[in-house]
Amino acid sequence: MESSFRTPAQWYDGHNAIRHEGEAVWDGSGTLSLRGFSGEMDLPFADLVYGEHRGGEYVYRRSSEPDFRLILPEDLPPGLAAKLPAKHVYGGWIDKVGLGKASAAFAVVSIAAVALFMTAPEWLGPRVPQSWERNLGDAMVGDFGNRLCSTPEGDAALAKLLDAVDPDEVQVRAGVANIGMVNAVALPGGQVLLFDGLIQDAETPEELAGVLGHEVGHVRERHVMTALLRQFGLSILLSGANSGVGDTVFGLASMGYSRDAEREADAFARARMEESKVSPLGAARFFERIGGGGDEDADENSLTGWVASHPDPRERAKAFREAAKGKSFRPVLSESEFAAIKSMCEEDPDVEEFDFFF
Amino acid sequence: MHYEDMQADSAFGFDGNWKDFARIAVPNLLLTIVTLGIYRFWATTRERQYMWSHTRFVDERLEWTGTGKELFVGFVLVMLLFAIPVFGIQFVSQALVMRGYEAAGLVLGMLPLFAIFYLTGMARFRALRYRLSRTRWRGIRGGSNDQGLGYGVSYMWKTFVGYIALGLLIPWSMTSLWNERWSKMSFGPYEFNAHADSGNIFARFLLFYLSPIIFVVGGVIAAATGGLAGYGLGGEEGAGIGAMASFFILAIFFYFGLGVIAVAFYAKFYREAVGSTHWEDLHFSFEASTMDWIKLLIGDVLIVMFTLGLGFIFLSYRHWKFMIENLEASGDILLDELTQSTTKTAKHGEGLLDAFDIGAF
Repeated sequence: MESSFRTPAQWYDGHNAIRHEGEAVWDGSGTLSLRGFSGEMDLPFADLVYGEHRGGEYVYRRSSEPDFRLILPEDLPPGLAAKLPAKHVYGGWIDKVGLGKASAAFAVVSIAAVALFMTAPEWLGPRVPQSWERNLGDAMVGDFGNRLCSTPEGDAALAKLLDAVDPDEVQVRAGVANIGMVNAVALPGGQVLLFDGLIQDAETPEELAGVLGHEVGHVRERHVMTALLRQFGLSILLSGANSGVGDTVFGLASMGYSRDAEREADAFARARMEESKVSPLGAARFFERIGGGGDEDADENSLTGWVASHPDPRERAKAFREAAKGKSFRPVLSESEFAAIKSMCEEDPDVEEFDFFF
Repeated sequence: MHYEDMQADSAFGFDGNWKDFARIAVPNLLLTIVTLGIYRFWATTRERQYMWSHTRFVDERLEWTGTGKELFVGFVLVMLLFAIPVFGIQFVSQALVMRGYEAAGLVLGMLPLFAIFYLTGMARFRALRYRLSRTRWRGIRGGSNDQGLGYGVSYMWKTFVGYIALGLLIPWSMTSLWNERWSKMSFGPYEFNAHADSGNIFARFLLFYLSPIIFVVGGVIAAATGGLAGYGLGGEEGAGIGAMASFFILAIFFYFGLGVIAVAFYAKFYREAVGSTHWEDLHFSFEASTMDWIKLLIGDVLIVMFTLGLGFIFLSYRHWKFMIENLEASGDILLDELTQSTTKTAKHGEGLLDAFDIGAF
């Protein structure tokens, strides 16, 4: 291999646009000498940085002089080529390992990341401390103040109903919302709302206990947090598509659970009701009614919310009926207590309208 | 140096070819997919390196010195400084609504929309600045010392005024914003300046503006005529078919006709805007006719359609080639006076522009 040679070269000094033309001369040392009519200079090889390959030429830059450009022909003597910085194509270490291997590595990492991201709500949701969820829920929803129906007798009856399905020390917060739909929701932060429409539709307090127990189940089984995380993930994916979290607080609270989560919540309700000796037959009747048993005066429109997002009501009713077999129960509320809940919204003198969101 | 293919008679030339570009664009697509889109910043950079280095201005090629990393940093910055606050504001505004402060919540919820409006203008400015500052010609670069904060305000009020007078001031707002943007840019020691005149494009704009009315009036007449012709041929039933056919033809005409007229306006605007832009003793012109633009766009559609969408990777190449081949410049450049730009350069790339998905030129 020859240890010295000369090759045609062009360069720009980076300070003005004048092109210098001449020769690059190498004598085997660590510097490249540029010799031309309009100037000459010595370049340490260590200072050269690969720029690009374009139309039969290589372009080199200098790290000490960022706008300096040296342009050498493509067919360099191999001795010089070996001294010059290596060319790069894709950038970084992709060039070192090769496109195929780099792509495969990226693909594996990406698939793992996607899998982690997709499943995060399921494993992360239940691990978020309840107190965090409560704070988050308070920030998102707040308390509803005067928009919940409240009378002293009604509140006492509701508390008794809640005791039957939520025996924990720190109970969820349950309220009756002044909304005519037949629906109930579990909101972030351990807040459960029964809509007045559902209360008016209920024929026995056991029906209410079943629905309340179901929503408490969503809170206790951490479905709310899971659904919230799923929604967060979606809005990150769609970020820019203007998907606010708040928009969907109610949407997700009533619709965002998987069918498995619904069955889990039902099982939770049955277990608590059994412990409290509350009959599951009320809940069974409720599901039969919304399932289109046909004989009742069910308002179909107001029921679609519950029916559409939940498992087949007949299947659920059956599970509740079977839970009743061979057991004895006592009434969860007295006639007057049930009546107090039924009349909560009517008799609350200063309850506010709630229809804004729905 | 070999510039045989590069339109020697023009100040600008392009000698890339799509097969070489495909060797860049196809691996880019692969890497972008397997990195869930993160590689696209490096992909963009490699494509620009190719396009710039195959573009000749007078007797030297352009060079793109931007990096993928800085585009990536720009994008991350936008996410941190913009997307997360917007997310937070939406959260707070919804919480306010939940608590009964509907008005306050809605006003707060509107805030990001205004911010996006402002930032769109600023992003457009900064993207142009970024591209000039990363373009080298004979080792010299361009740029601007302006941050584009004021341009964002201009963009807001000029766009607003443009629409408020029944849209009749849109040509003015377009040319005025072009002038403002380019007059703050420089290359080497010299500033650009632009005095595009909206008066020169107003007639074209009126054509675009009034044509829907003409189409509708014409359409009613045509439908009636079609109906009558149908009646002559086939009685009542024929009248219905005739009228329907006329409407159908009209609908097609409406869509395509209006599209063509919009392109005609844009072509005129571009010729006016580039043609009134100067750089020291050099003035530019842009030669593309309405027909050239239509061919470009139809070509885009066909390429994407016949490759089942994959052809979109060639669109940036086609558009750059179209721009360069139609760009002309004449005048003098004194090379020894063309010294390095002293403008500040931003450390990060066109993050905002990328986030809002808009073009710079």
